[in-house]
Amino acid sequence: MGRVVRRTGFAIILLLTVSALTFGAMNLLGDPLFNILGPAAADTTPAGVERIEAARAEYHLDDPLPVRYLRWLGDLVQGDLGVQFSSAGQPPVADLVVERLPRTAVLLVLAQLMATVIAIPWALLAAPRVDSWFDRLSTVSTFLVVALPNFALGVLLKYVFAIRLGWFPQTYTADAPLPDRFHQLLLPALTIALPAAAVYQRLLRDDLVSTLQEEFILMARSKGLSRARILFRHALRPSLFSFVTVFGLTTGALIGGSLVVENIFRIPGLGSAIVEAVVREDFPVVLAIVVVVASVFIVVNFVVDAVYAVIDPRIRR
Amino acid sequence: MAATTTPMLEVDDLRVRFATPAGTITAVDGVSLTLGERESIAIVGESGSGKSVFARTLINLLAGNGTRTGTIKIGGRDIDELSTAERKHFFGVQAAMVFQDPMTSLNPVKRIGAQLTEAMRYHLKMGKEEANDRAVGLLRQVHIPSPEKRMRQYPHELSGGMRQRVVIAMALACEPRLLIADEPTTALDVTVQKAILDLLDDLRAERNMSLILITHDLGVAEGRADRIGVMYAGRLMELATAKDLFADMRHPYTQALLRSIPSTDMASHTRLHPIPGRPPDLLNPPQGCAFAARCRHAQPECVDIKPNLLESSGDHWYACHFPVGTSEGRAALERNETAGVTAAGLPLDEAAEEFV
Ligand SMILES: Nc1ncnc2c1ncn2[C@@H]1O[C@H](COP(=O)(O)OP(=O)(O)OP(=O)(O)O)[C@@H](O)[C@H]1O
Ligand SMILES: [Mg+2]
Repeated sequence: MGRVVRRTGFAIILLLTVSALTFGAMNLLGDPLFNILGPAAADTTPAGVERIEAARAEYHLDDPLPVRYLRWLGDLVQGDLGVQFSSAGQPPVADLVVERLPRTAVLLVLAQLMATVIAIPWALLAAPRVDSWFDRLSTVSTFLVVALPNFALGVLLKYVFAIRLGWFPQTYTADAPLPDRFHQLLLPALTIALPAAAVYQRLLRDDLVSTLQEEFILMARSKGLSRARILFRHALRPSLFSFVTVFGLTTGALIGGSLVVENIFRIPGLGSAIVEAVVREDFPVVLAIVVVVASVFIVVNFVVDAVYAVIDPRIRR
Repeated sequence: MAATTTPMLEVDDLRVRFATPAGTITAVDGVSLTLGERESIAIVGESGSGKSVFARTLINLLAGNGTRTGTIKIGGRDIDELSTAERKHFFGVQAAMVFQDPMTSLNPVKRIGAQLTEAMRYHLKMGKEEANDRAVGLLRQVHIPSPEKRMRQYPHELSGGMRQRVVIAMALACEPRLLIADEPTTALDVTVQKAILDLLDDLRAERNMSLILITHDLGVAEGRADRIGVMYAGRLMELATAKDLFADMRHPYTQALLRSIPSTDMASHTRLHPIPGRPPDLLNPPQGCAFAARCRHAQPECVDIKPNLLESSGDHWYACHFPVGTSEGRAALERNETAGVTAAGLPLDEAAEEFV
């Protein structure tokens, strides 16, 4: 119980810090006035100055930074993410998040699923055969996939599977029926999944190799159990720690990483949204996305923490 | 043991070699051994003498870098001639093993119950209920209090002695006829050691099992085993009934081993004599007797020619050119004492020995 309280406190502090830093950083970047008013922000005619004054007052731009941050935070707590400065008509930020988030979420969930489904059998095959040709080949290919820039991998996959083989559509169509959109996300998800799978395979393989040297594995072997059974029932679970940890940490990074992939496959997701927003210095949008990403990260790591306890009873309290 | 029954275990000229980056080492070097039904044998030797490798090889647990030659028959079945189907349910059923350290030999993330029933369900195709009932019975048999509760616990919730009892119960799950216990009490408190050894004794009697008890402690072997084999550098140096071995030991190594350990019936002020020197380098084993360099009897012959394990009288075997308790042996020792040094260059100065 104390554990949950501690973790929740930690999550709140993390969210506050991340949003405060982002808030500060965005204000270092430039004057929000330009985003709100566009070229009119430089208007020096009396009418222009009046409009500027009105905008300053409406968005409380004259208040000190901490006060503005607290005001933003107060709105956030009430579920108000503010408006998009840089879009015509200044629609609510929430609209954008609601539109973009599901795509990226599905993309990343798919990617993590694929990465896990690839990495676990791959590691289970390699670990009992340390330094065999299979293991060596695995090592080389994992390094290759990780070293390959994401856009190169994406373009390659797109070229082979979408353009040459035609198994997948080349781009995403937002108004296609649901099964089609799912199908359209498979190749982008694979692009994200492969490097993640390579990292997971390395970690899992190394942990498996050391677990397989434990005496309880010898004990299991002395019981005459089959190889497969020993791997799945005895070796896998105690070897999941690094994998699960990095899985949690990667989730945050993947949201950023998804941006390249969203670009290659023309998916209007959260990744592209944040880039557009940063380029246009659209404060509320950037802040909202940062908060969403940080929250997802926190939730995933909450889950990871719970998974630890499932894996190892010694951690349970 | 009756001559007509098939021996429980027959090992013939067993050799185990390991490929290591530094070269090939021979961990078990031509061991032959027969163990009757219901018989128990203790294998005794210093650390690194190959006891564990020997024990593990018997139950098909050779490390990946190891190769084995020689034959092993368990219950009359050559383990190299088992059909695939037979092999699947052979190890763990016919023969089972108890490991040295119960802190590490149980899977930390699995419940005791799951670990106990696993082999029964896998080999004997038992249902969950039946296997559970039997597991509870096994825990009771190894004197674990409130077994139903233990079934749901994890290893870390049990003490070392309890865990070793669980390991023993696990080994017994499929009613093996041969139990191999590799230093089953070395990692435990002295107070628990005797209880575990007694338990093994009782179980062997109850279940008509054969037992191989591996230990580095001759004292443990005494009174616990029908026969004792003394192992050194992967070879059996002496093999005899426990009674004969203690009453009439022949190998200088056995003698040295006995003098190096404290024993209960020894007067408290008796001085212990550690064996001088170190075991031979298994990468470059000596040409002659492996023990020659540390042996007080060593003669030129010992350095040049490896003695074979030969039977002298009624089931007493030893591998020595100048055995203890023979006129040759006495003469060899006298010669060395006069010279103050053995043929292998070991000084026989009593004063020097103390500081080894
Ligand atoms: N897989 C392996 N690869 C290389 N050498 C090994 C391997 N397994 C065992 N050895 C070596 O074989 C020799 C015998 O080891 P073993 O574990 O059988 O000794 P032991 O008599 O059981 O000793 P202890 O009393 O310490 O348990 C040692 O020198 C050990 O280093
Ligand atoms: Mg050992």
